[in-house]
Amino acid sequence: MELSESVQKGLQLLADQSAVNHSSFQVLLDVSFRGLLSSRADPTVLDQPELKHMDRILLKQSHAALTTFILEAVKHNADKSTISSCFEELTFSTDRIEIFFSTYQKHKKDMEHLLSSMGRRPPHINDVSWRLQYHMKNGQLDKINEPFYLISLNTENEGSSEDINFTCTTEQLQDLVSKLKDAAKSVEKASQM
Amino acid sequence: MLLVLSEDHKEHLSFLTKADGSVVEEFGRLALEFLRKGTNPKIYEGAARKLCVPVGMVQHGVEGLMFLMTESSKHMISEVDFMDSVLALGFGEELIQSLLQLYVQHKHQIRSILSQLLCNQPAYHNLEWRLDVQLASRSVRHQMVPMVTIRLLLTRSSDVGSTQSCMDLQTDPSSLLHMISTLEAALAAVKTSDARRILRNIK
Repeated sequence: MELSESVQKGLQLLADQSAVNHSSFQVLLDVSFRGLLSSRADPTVLDQPELKHMDRILLKQSHAALTTFILEAVKHNADKSTISSCFEELTFSTDRIEIFFSTYQKHKKDMEHLLSSMGRRPPHINDVSWRLQYHMKNGQLDKINEPFYLISLNTENEGSSEDINFTCTTEQLQDLVSKLKDAAKSVEKASQM
Repeated sequence: MLLVLSEDHKEHLSFLTKADGSVVEEFGRLALEFLRKGTNPKIYEGAARKLCVPVGMVQHGVEGLMFLMTESSKHMISEVDFMDSVLALGFGEELIQSLLQLYVQHKHQIRSILSQLLCNQPAYHNLEWRLDVQLASRSVRHQMVPMVTIRLLLTRSSDVGSTQSCMDLQTDPSSLLHMISTLEAALAAVKTSDARRILRNIK
C-alpha cells in the first residue's frame, strides 16, 4: 500500500509510546472510525479528555493520517500482513499494531458497506407491485372488455425512491416475465462457472 | 343497438342518399382517409366542382359519414343494427350494402385509431437486459458484485402521436428472483375462476 509522506509522518507521531499512551491511541482510533461511519460531521470529534494533553496541531495531523490510512486499507481490502508491514516500517510496536488491527476488524464490514455505496449507478429496483384491471369502456370506445395490468416498479437512487408505472396486457407481461427469467438463468449459469 | 343521429346529421347525410354508388364510395374512402390523416379542404373543393354542389354540402357529407363510421365502430354495432340505422336515414338498398362493406372492412382500423386518442399511461414495449459484475469503483477495489442492468422501453400515446421512453435500471440477483415470483403470481391471477367468471360474463 502506497502512503504519502504526510500520512507517513502523521502516523509516525502515534508510534511514540511516551507521547501517546495506549488509552489515548485507542480513543483516537475509536474517534476516527466513528467520524468516518457517522452520517453527520461533528466538529467536536477530537475534544476527548484522553487527547487533551496532545499538541493540537500534531493531534490533527495524526488524526487525518489515521483516517486516510483506514480508508486506503478498506479500499484495497488490505490483509493483516500488509497492514502490519506498513506499521512496522513506521516503527510501531507489535501490541500497538494489534490494537489497531482488532479495532479495524470490528468496523471493517461497516466501512466496506459505506465505501461501496458511494458512486453513481442507475436506479436500483427494490420491489414490484401489480394490479389486475378489466377495461370495459372509455370516452372514445365501447365494448373493449380486456383485462390489463398496472405494474409499478419501486426504484431507489442515492436515497430517493421513485415509482415507475406502466400498463401491459397479459401477453406483454408474459414476455416481460420470460425475459426476466432468461436473465435469472444466465445469473445462475455464471455463478456455476 | 340502433344508432340515433341528430337532425343536423340526418340533413348532412341526406344529400348522399340521392347520390349514386360511386359517389358514396368515393366519399366513404375520403372519410376514412380523413380519419387516418386529418382533413384536407382542397379535396372538398375539387369534389364540389365535379358534382356541381356547394363546398359546404360536400364537407357535411364527408363529416357525416365520418361520424357514422366512428359511432358505429365505437359501439361495435352489429351488421343488422347498422343496416337498420342506415335504412332509417333514407339510404337505398345498394347504398346500404356499400356502406355496410365500408363499415365491416374498416371497423377494427377505426377502433385502433380511436384508441390512440386516449392520453393514457405509459405502456410496456420491450425489456432488454445484461448481466454485469462490478469489479472495482473509485472508492473500493477488489469487488465482485453481480448485477443485472435492465433497459425498459415504454410507449405513451397522446394526441401528437406516440413517444417512446427508455429507462436504464439495475437490480441484484435476489431482487430479480423476487420480481419474477411476484409477477408470476400476477399472471396466475387472471386465470383464477373468479377472474374467468368476470371475463365471461361482462361482455
